[in-house]
Amino acid sequence: MNLLPSLMPMLDAVRERFEDRLDAVVAPRANEVYFHAHPDLVAGFCAYLYKAWDARLTGVFADDAVAEAGVFHLYYVYTLDAAGGFFILRVPVPPNRPEFTSLTNAVHAVNWQEREIQDMFGLKLIGHPNARRCALHDDWPEVHPLRKDFDLRAPMPPFQGERHKFRQVEGDGVFQVPVGPVHAGVIEPGHFLFSVAGEPVLYLQLRLFYTHKGTEKLFESLPITHGVRLAESISGDSSFAHATAFCHAVERACEVDAPPRARALRTVCLELERLYNHIGDIGAICTDVAFATANMHAMRLKDRVMRLNEHLTGNRLLKGMARLGGVRFDWAEDQLEPLRRLPGQLRPEFDSLMELIADSTGTRDRLERTGTLKPETARNFGVVGIAGRASGFNHDLRRDIPHAFYDQTQFKVPVFTEGDVLRRLEVRRVEVGESLSIIRQTLERLPAGPVFVPIDEVPAGRVALGYVEGWRGEIYHWIRTAPGNRLARCKIKDPSLQNWPALSEAILGNIIPDFPVVNKSFNLSYSGTDR
Amino acid sequence: MTATLVFILLQTLLLLALAPLITGVIKHWKARLQNRRGPRPWQFYFDLLKYLRKDMVVSEHASWIFTAAPRVVFITSLVAGLMVPMALVPAPLSRFGDALALIGVLALGRFFLALAGLDTATTFGGMGSSREVTLSAIAEPALLLAVFTVAITTGSTDLSHMSLGTQADVWKMLDPAHVMAFAALFIVLLTETGRIPVDNPATHLELTMIHEAMILEYSGRQLALMEWGASIKQLVLMSLLVNVFFPPGIAIEATPAALAAGGLLYLGKLLGLALAVVVVETTNAKLRLFRVPDLLSAAFALATLALLSTFLFQ
Repeated sequence: MNLLPSLMPMLDAVRERFEDRLDAVVAPRANEVYFHAHPDLVAGFCAYLYKAWDARLTGVFADDAVAEAGVFHLYYVYTLDAAGGFFILRVPVPPNRPEFTSLTNAVHAVNWQEREIQDMFGLKLIGHPNARRCALHDDWPEVHPLRKDFDLRAPMPPFQGERHKFRQVEGDGVFQVPVGPVHAGVIEPGHFLFSVAGEPVLYLQLRLFYTHKGTEKLFESLPITHGVRLAESISGDSSFAHATAFCHAVERACEVDAPPRARALRTVCLELERLYNHIGDIGAICTDVAFATANMHAMRLKDRVMRLNEHLTGNRLLKGMARLGGVRFDWAEDQLEPLRRLPGQLRPEFDSLMELIADSTGTRDRLERTGTLKPETARNFGVVGIAGRASGFNHDLRRDIPHAFYDQTQFKVPVFTEGDVLRRLEVRRVEVGESLSIIRQTLERLPAGPVFVPIDEVPAGRVALGYVEGWRGEIYHWIRTAPGNRLARCKIKDPSLQNWPALSEAILGNIIPDFPVVNKSFNLSYSGTDR
Repeated sequence: MTATLVFILLQTLLLLALAPLITGVIKHWKARLQNRRGPRPWQFYFDLLKYLRKDMVVSEHASWIFTAAPRVVFITSLVAGLMVPMALVPAPLSRFGDALALIGVLALGRFFLALAGLDTATTFGGMGSSREVTLSAIAEPALLLAVFTVAITTGSTDLSHMSLGTQADVWKMLDPAHVMAFAALFIVLLTETGRIPVDNPATHLELTMIHEAMILEYSGRQLALMEWGASIKQLVLMSLLVNVFFPPGIAIEATPAALAAGGLLYLGKLLGLALAVVVVETTNAKLRLFRVPDLLSAAFALATLALLSTFLFQ
């Protein structure tokens, strides 16, 4: 077993502690260790890893292995940021007793994920504080789409049954303000139910999953090579990050490394994606406090990055660039030239935009101490990415568990503890500078060579975790391969799923007209959550 | 008698025709200051025409108030407009009502507007109405006091008389009381016309809206009346500012030469004021809703000081 040295002490400690209760320990990759155990171990394993090794439970999902192993498998992915690896606990759930014990009371961050397993696999949650439906709405029929015996093309009867019952907040002068699911802008659907006393918000209930597209099920019906294109569509603003996470998982399953030049180009594309989204968000935050001038400048800069995207990859959203084993296109000198000029050109203009915003005291007044997400709340909800870093949650896969070319670049990860809208904007501001610097560093030592290794045949029966720090936060794709170049399971974990519940906490005590700007500062994806 | 009727008719036409232009010019200039091309200055005429041609969708829960409100808003704006001198003093309805009547008529329109927001019992309408009424409770006294400042100096609450009085004694325009009252009225203008930093006329975010939230349910002809009415109200308040506080050049006799000169000057002053509004809107972010009363209190304080200093220095 060729394990990462930094993981050795933890592995030894886990083995020592749970020795006789672990059925097997498998390490298919240097930073990815699987523990096979009995379901009784779930709670103890979790408590131990959290307390002794400061691990984070970043993914809980199920896999229908009834055909192969006669059971469902539950996977608990622990990210060990300090050691740079993943410990994954696998426990069986027999189909004749389809239930599992909830961890939500201990780790609040897995609330939605556990309920999603219940909806999609029909495994009943035990001991969950709010075990209602989540991913499939209440009026869905009793079907479990991610079970293998559910046919993707199965015609569904018209949905009937009870609509979702929202929680009532009572009191003198308490009103409920329903917003959505259809909104005024060209955005995706989501229902927000505010309970307000005058303008201050007492409680916000979210109802998402209106755009469930069955993406994870779709992956099971496609050849793996087509999966890349599907992965691009999981969340439009993170198309390259999602596609790369998918490719990363497949490459790890095949034990293939993307060539150095491909990893460098991936890094550049990921940073370009970060750039256009961050700049766009900064402008959008300004729009929501009616400072349109700043937004117009931000749009100008954002479009410059998007035009460069098109120049480099043929697509403004970087779609079509990712491929298994590397990237699809190499860049010629005349394409690299404008990219080299980008940091020098964009930086001064971006700085003057930020100066414009900083000089607007009215804007600052609106953003400071608005939508505060306290560090302990962020920790409890496992908030990742920008929102996490603005609330003192110091994690960034680019630095902690580097993928692509990040181990060869130097950059700093901005972390604040105040957790308000202003700090989420500040995280973006610093990251834009760092992104430009990463692009410059990568181009300075751009390796020569091929931009992909062909992956024609993916071996069956492999499992692998692919991970990418997208602009919004960490993205995980976990796959189990099947014969014939297919996937038996593809689990997608978008950072939005993790962060949405935290929005309800951040808005508490704020006034209703401040909600749009708080929401915008998180800028979470509906599509990535609903899948 | 006939002359008065013709005069009323002409000023009504002027109000109807000029108001959309001012709204359009503000939108156009705002876009230019934000480095956008933006809609053409006369786009708002086409918008109104479009609304007038479209069908209406009216909620089945709407009562007669919903149907009546657009007419009340439109007509009160027009009537208020006839009390304010535009290119010529005295205003056509100057005998009919003074500053107090003007504020009362505008308040009637607002009352119906707020009722209409509540009438369909939608999520956002009620929120808009509650905010509008809260802010008006502070903005209206400020408006009253600011107008009274000039009324005391000139010895009448009749707007045309005030305009003439100020014009007769040009140096009074540099009086601190006069300047402070003007500043107070400018803030009231921003509030009453739903402009940044109080409200954002260009937003799609219902949760942040004030004026737009109240008219969200309207469509077609009724929306046209609401939008046109709001536009006329804006012109009325702007005319109040330019003609009561800066009357020089206003036509006193209805001769073609005087009218032409007065009209041009009036248009110039309006555009100047519009430019000031545009600059404020472009350089500021919207205030947090709970900070807006602070701004309006500042307007109220300015108006009070203006009124006090008139007594002290005379």
